Order: sequence, then C-alpha cells, then structure tokens
Amino acid sequence: MSKRIVINPVTRISGFMEIDAIIENNIIIETKTEGLLFRGFEKMLNGRNPFDAVYFTQRICGICSTAHSMASTLALESAMGVVPSEQGRYLRDILHGCEYLQNHIRHFYQYTIPDFVKLPENYPLFTTDQHDFRIPKQKNDQIAEHYFESLDISRSAHEMLAVLGGKAPHNHGIFVGGITTQATTDKIIKIKSILHTIRQFIINKMIPDAYIIAHYYSDYYSIGRGYGNLLSYGCFDRYKELGTLYVNPLVYLDGKISTFDSEGITEEIDYSWYKSQADAYKPLETIPDADMNKKNAYSWVKAPRYFDKPFEVGPLARQWLSGEYRKGISTMDRTIARVLEAKKITEVLNTLLQSLIPGVTVQEEYRIPETAVGTGLIDTTRGALGHWIKINNSVISFYQVITPTAWNLSTRGNNGLPGTSEQALIGTTVKDVNNPVELGRIIRSFDPCVSCATHVYSQGDHVKSIQVVQ
Amino acid sequence: MSDTRVCPEYAARLETAAELVNKVREEIRKGVLVKRNLVWLELTGCSGNIISLLDGSNPDFKYLISQMANFIYDNSLMAAEGEKAMEQLFSIRDKEYILAVEGAVATKNNGLYNIIGRWKGEPITALKAIELFGKRATHVIALGACATHGGVSAARPNPSECVSVQSVLKRKVIKLPGCPCHPDWFLGTLAHILLYGEPELDSKDRPLLFYSTLIHDRCPRRSFFDQGIFASKLGESTCMFKLGCRGPVTRVDCPIRQWNQYVNWPIEDDTPCIGCAQFGFPDRMEPFITYNTTRGVRNVKEDSNKSGYTN
Amino acid sequence: MYNSDNITCKRIERLISESESYVRFLYVTPCIYTRNMLLYQLESKICEIGFLSSMLCSKANQIKSNHVVMPQLNQQTQESLQNQQNQREFTQQELAKYNGLDGNPAYVAVNGVVYDVTNNAAWAAASHFGLTAGKDLTSEFASCHAGQTILNKLKVVGKLI
Repeated sequence: MSKRIVINPVTRISGFMEIDAIIENNIIIETKTEGLLFRGFEKMLNGRNPFDAVYFTQRICGICSTAHSMASTLALESAMGVVPSEQGRYLRDILHGCEYLQNHIRHFYQYTIPDFVKLPENYPLFTTDQHDFRIPKQKNDQIAEHYFESLDISRSAHEMLAVLGGKAPHNHGIFVGGITTQATTDKIIKIKSILHTIRQFIINKMIPDAYIIAHYYSDYYSIGRGYGNLLSYGCFDRYKELGTLYVNPLVYLDGKISTFDSEGITEEIDYSWYKSQADAYKPLETIPDADMNKKNAYSWVKAPRYFDKPFEVGPLARQWLSGEYRKGISTMDRTIARVLEAKKITEVLNTLLQSLIPGVTVQEEYRIPETAVGTGLIDTTRGALGHWIKINNSVISFYQVITPTAWNLSTRGNNGLPGTSEQALIGTTVKDVNNPVELGRIIRSFDPCVSCATHVYSQGDHVKSIQVVQ
Repeated sequence: MSDTRVCPEYAARLETAAELVNKVREEIRKGVLVKRNLVWLELTGCSGNIISLLDGSNPDFKYLISQMANFIYDNSLMAAEGEKAMEQLFSIRDKEYILAVEGAVATKNNGLYNIIGRWKGEPITALKAIELFGKRATHVIALGACATHGGVSAARPNPSECVSVQSVLKRKVIKLPGCPCHPDWFLGTLAHILLYGEPELDSKDRPLLFYSTLIHDRCPRRSFFDQGIFASKLGESTCMFKLGCRGPVTRVDCPIRQWNQYVNWPIEDDTPCIGCAQFGFPDRMEPFITYNTTRGVRNVKEDSNKSGYTN
Repeated sequence: MYNSDNITCKRIERLISESESYVRFLYVTPCIYTRNMLLYQLESKICEIGFLSSMLCSKANQIKSNHVVMPQLNQQTQESLQNQQNQREFTQQELAKYNGLDGNPAYVAVNGVVYDVTNNAAWAAASHFGLTAGKDLTSEFASCHAGQTILNKLKVVGKLI
C-alpha cells in the first residue's frame, strides 16, 4: 500500500515550497518538490538601465541579496569589459564573505536547530508536535541557549557588511569595479574586531553544536545522499597575488574532479510547464514561455544541468572540491560542511583584510555600451549562481538568472532522471509516516531559497497532508 | 491647558525605539500592559523584512518574542511545519492579534502565484491569507516596499499582478515602506501600539515618528547640493544628485538613524539614495545610478566670481 | 552715503528682525510641516541679507578703487529679466533635445510654458517619479500637483508652440 505525504508550508526555508512524496512500506519511492512563489524578475529587468540590475536583482532574495549583487556586477563587468583592480576584488569579496557568515549562522541556528533540538516551549514560535528529539537535556538546553546567542552573532555579520556596504539586506556597496566606498583604517579595524568575535563563536559553539547533533543523529550520515555529483563556479579564487583562498571552478563526477567549463550549463524543460523551440538550451539562448497544458510536465521549476547531468551545489560541494572536507555526502555532511565552511570563511576574510590598502578608490565614471553580452558566475552561500545579461540600445534586453536552489531543487531532466534533492529523498526510510520528520530535514540540509528560484504554482489535486492514494 | 507642548520633532528624536520599548517594559511590570499576540505573514516578496527584523538591536528579536509579543506565526522561523504550522496560524482567528505583513499580494490566477501553505488540503494563497487574517486583526502593519505599495514584486510588467496589502483590505493599514523596513521602524511602531495605541500617521498612513522629514533636509551632504557641487562618480564625498539621488523625494529618517547597529547608510557609503522608502519604488525611483546627467551648470561661487565679488 | 545705500541698510535691518521672529516662531511651533515651511522662509531671508550685504561690500571696494559699477543682480533676478525680454519658442521636437543628459539642460513644459529643472532637487538624474525631461508634462503635473504653487519657483525658459 502506498501513502502520499504532502508538507506545505516547508517552514524554516526562505520562500515557499511543498514536498509531495509517495511512500511504500515506509520508503519514499517518488517525490515532487514545488516552488510556490513566482515574481518573474527576468521579465521585469527588460528595458531597465543596466547599472540598476545590481540593486534590483538583490531584491530577488532577502537572505542572500549580496549574492545577487555579486553575480549581477560580474555580468555587467563582463559586458562592459571592465576589469576590477585587485583591491576592488578584495573589498567586494569581503562583503560577500560577511553574507556567508550571516547566512550560515542563521541557517544553522534558526533553520536547522529546531529540527533536532527542543527549544523552550514557552515560546509559541517553537511549539511542535514532532517527538524525535534525542539530545540529552543538558546539552539540548545549551544548544537552545546558543540559538539566542547566535542572533547577536549573525546580526553582527550584517553589521560588518554594512560598515563597507551601507546597509544589509540589500547592500549598496558592491558595484562595478569593486565597491563604492573606501576602506579606511577605522573601518578595517571595526570589521576585524567583529570578525574576531564571530570566529570565536563559530569555533567554540557552532562547530561543537553541529557535532553534538551529528553524534545523536548519526543515521543522517546515511540519509539524503542524492547523486553525489558536485559543482562549484569558484569563489575567493584566482587572485593575482593571493592565489585561490578557497575554491576554484571545479566539478566532481564519478569519483573524479575536473575543471568546470561554463559551456556545459543548460536548462532542460521537458518536465516543466514551459515551451520553447528547444527543450534544452544554453542560458543566453532563451527564456521559455509558460505552457501549462504540456504533457508530462509537473512543475514550474526548470532543470539546470551540466553536460546533461544534475549536480549538487553549496557548502558541501565547495568543501569537497577544495579538499577541506571529504567524509561523505549526506544530510548530516551538508550541515557539518556548512559550519566548517563558516570557519573557513573567517580565515579567508582575515587574509583579505590584511591585504587591504586603506584609502584606495576603485570607482570610475562608467559608460554603458550600445550593445553587449555578459556572464557573471560566482559561488555564493547556497552554491553556484549565474546571471546572464544582454544589452541593446544601452538598456537591458535579456536577463537570465540560474540560482543555486534551481540546481538543488530542480525537476527531472529530459532523460527522466530526478533532480538532485528529489534523488536525495528517494529511498529514504520514513520511520513514522504520521510524523515524517526526515523529509524536511533532508530538504533543509540544502538550504533552499525558493524566493530565488522564482517559480509559479499550478493548482493540483486537493490532498490532505497525509493521504492514502493506493 | 496649562502645560506647554514639547516640539514633536524634538520629542521624536528622543523617542527612539529603545526608549519606547523601555517604557513598554515598565508598563508591563506595572501590570498595565499585557503582551499581545503577533502574527507575521510573509507574502509575495523576498523575506528580507524578517531578516532585517533579526538585525534589530535594543530591542532585539529575543526581546520582541519574550517581552513584547507572543510571536505566533512566521514561516521562516517557526519550528512546526506543514499542517501543524497552519493549525498554529488558524488557531489565532478567535483571539486578538496584531498582524504584520511583508510582501505584496499576488492576484494573478486568483492568487495562485503565491501559496503560503495548505489548510485542510486546500492551498492558501497570499490573497486568501490576507483576507482571512487582515480583517480580524486589531492592527495591520504593512512593512517593506512590497506590502506597502507593491514594490519590486509589482515592478513593471508586474508578471504576478501584485498589489499592496491596502488594495485588498478595506481598513486602516499602518504603512512602513522601505526595502527592507528598518527594524526600528517596525519595533518602534509596535511598541507605540502596545503602549499608547496607534502612532500619529501622515496622510499616507506612515508614522510621523520615522517618516516626517525628507532625507534631503537632513542630509550631511546638503551643503554640496546648495553650492552646486556634484559628484561625477560613486566614491566621491560630494552631493550625488546628478548620479540619481532620490533623497530629495524620500521621506524617512535614514540620515540620523542609519542601519545595522547604526554604523552606516547608503549616502555615507558614497552611493545615492535609491528612494526605497518612497511609494513607487522601484519603477518611479529609477534610474538608480547614471553617469550621463548634465552637470556644469553655474553654481553660486562661480557667479559671484563673475560679478567681481572676490571677498 | 548714497540714498540707495540707506534704503539697503533699512531693508537689511527689517530682514534681520523678520529672521529673528522666525527663529522665535520655530522654538514654539509644534507642527513639523509648519516648522519646515518656516525654515524655508528663514533660508530665503538669509539669502536676501547675503545678497544685500555683498552689494554693500562691493560698493565699498569700488569706492576704494574709484570704479563706479553697479553691482549685478543675482542670477535668478537676472534670468527672470531676460526671460521677460526674449521668450524662446520650442516645438515638441526641440523640447525633446533638452532631456538633461549628455550636456543638455533638462527642460519640461507645463501648460505651454517651458521650465528649467536641470538643478531642481526633485529631478535627480533628469527624472522625477518615472517621468523624464524634454517632454510636455501638463497632464502629469495636473494629476499630482494641482493647486500647488511650485511652478513659481522654477526658471522659465520659453514657450511650447
């Protein structure tokens, strides 16, 4: 007998999604992950002033806005032929690093912890009817205390970002050429001082907390693996003098690591409600139109592929590809990789801060070309983010965004194989079908951001949250 | 009427969010005030306002949920998921609560472009949620550009046909525009409701406490504008009017409040204000940054030189 | 002392006492809008005092150097005089060139009159709430600023024909 489980809303993610799973003998045999929010940024950007893309695209996402300012700036620079100075790169990568810390700390404490740690019940926000809490009370309560302490720490990561970026979320600092303002000594030391506190918290609390959870939920090391294909566009990499501080553009497939080739990126739409002349296309080729009558399609999420294969992106992919962490690929490994990456980022930031020359201006009076094409690829908090821009008559004539969440939450490919997180769900044993905690835990380990994935929703069958479908 | 009224502008400067919250705390201790239920709905937007709320300090998020309000629902932060989460939301219907809303209301296809959850198997659209919970709330606070006037979610060509919260609610909606909303603007407004009731609002329902004065009128670079000294690129320390600064049309207290522990704000970061707290953002505030605006118009100094006034 | 100087001095004295009364007003006015209005008026009084005092100073200098030249009027007065004398005529096509970009001033037409908004604070980057310069904005003006006197503050550059 098969059962159908629908979880909606999947809370503690950014944006709205539904998990729809078919279970047979307590094992997930089929899943659909659907994004429930559509805004259509690619359409909105047409006809706008190209410079405005930097601030406009940040509004795609409130938790990872800096990521979009990075990718849009890179795409603009590529279109305009602007090569930023090394100081310019250091400065904006520092701002980007601050967002990594804000995001990872909030994802671990505010989004992940409530899955594994019983938070004080006198807060309505923390009431839950799941019972799979295994950590002994003393340790549990200590992590719960860190939940509150972490709020000050993640907030101070945004404070660091604002010191050079004006404000956060939706910073003003990252722009063509690097950042808009100068790093003065007082600002540099302020950031260093805040960074020191954050680093101490990560080392003394966040990483130990993650390992406590991993100890009591060690079965999650063997749940939610997925394909094990990993991809990164690279970040904090290829500086002229500093070399690569974190990870180069690389892919991991069938046990081998190779160099990433941007020509390999396509989007497939056989199982998505879109029509286009081709059912697979490169990012700069087309933005397909909606077609809800399409046969076999079941979602508005497209399927980004790299040489026809689905890939996982994010902290675990980067930790693996850079050689920092290669223990395994699973739900728990993703969480461990995320907290370890937070520590790594503090080291990268320290190096970049030490390399700053105070008082350097990196801004020019820029001109928009009449026509141009540009690509901006960068690994951000959640993974590989790409922006593609075409400029015509000095305004934006085409804008494509492929987000990390589109990689991780993609639909089946044209070959019928499930997307990365669908594959991670399939085969999982659900211990209690009335309390299917595994699904949310697996999905959250990918840190999905549905605000970013900009999908639409179609009204499907009305189902109860748990329903027998035979 | 023997007492002299204190100038509200001066009072507003003293009444920071922290100040108001301290008053709230004192009132709670006296037993005069009880914590109120608070429901936070994220609709069609980027969830940037809840992230901004976490950036609040004095009061911070912990103080909000422990001392000021029973925080009942927010999909980004609550522990429950699925049906259980929706039960928590729907359980509030018979009680008194304050509703905070971020994000616009998508209306295309009867609202199906934004589903916030399932209740008894039925999808609950943002549109339905705001109708269900907006009418019953004691106060509705729309925060952020999208909720207050459509914002980026409603930017042309508005593919999901987004509208503001007010457009679907026939009742008073307090509006806190900004992209995102500063945590003080929200927490200060909430504190005011808890302590004194609804704050004094302008004709567009914005609290005068925060939205009374143009950025331009308190801009530290104002003298450059008056002298006609304009920056030609970002990173300069003069007036960014020619680069597209919307400070002269944006009414909010960024210049004196500043952001993220009060360390910085866009103009201090050598970038123009993009009018994110003005109705009509982003379409009516563009271009954000542009370099080909005509400058070289005579300024006062040059004029006086021409006239031979050298002293 | 010339008679005209006497008049100027009297005028300055009056302006100063007016300014003082504005300052006293500002101390007691509770309404923020009134305060902003008073500040604006105070600023214009200070401007006028500045103009008159620099006129006196320049006269003093000229007497020293035995050079008698009348001081020039300030920019705005001078231009408004010019405006009255030679009103330029614009066709729609000609007006379109004055879009405020690439060295062109920013002009807009309302009710047949062409105004210069190049340095108007509400026209950053030659744009205003999604509107751009170089156009006849009569209907847009009527829909937002009906009954307001803000046009008086703008420099007139000609007529739309």
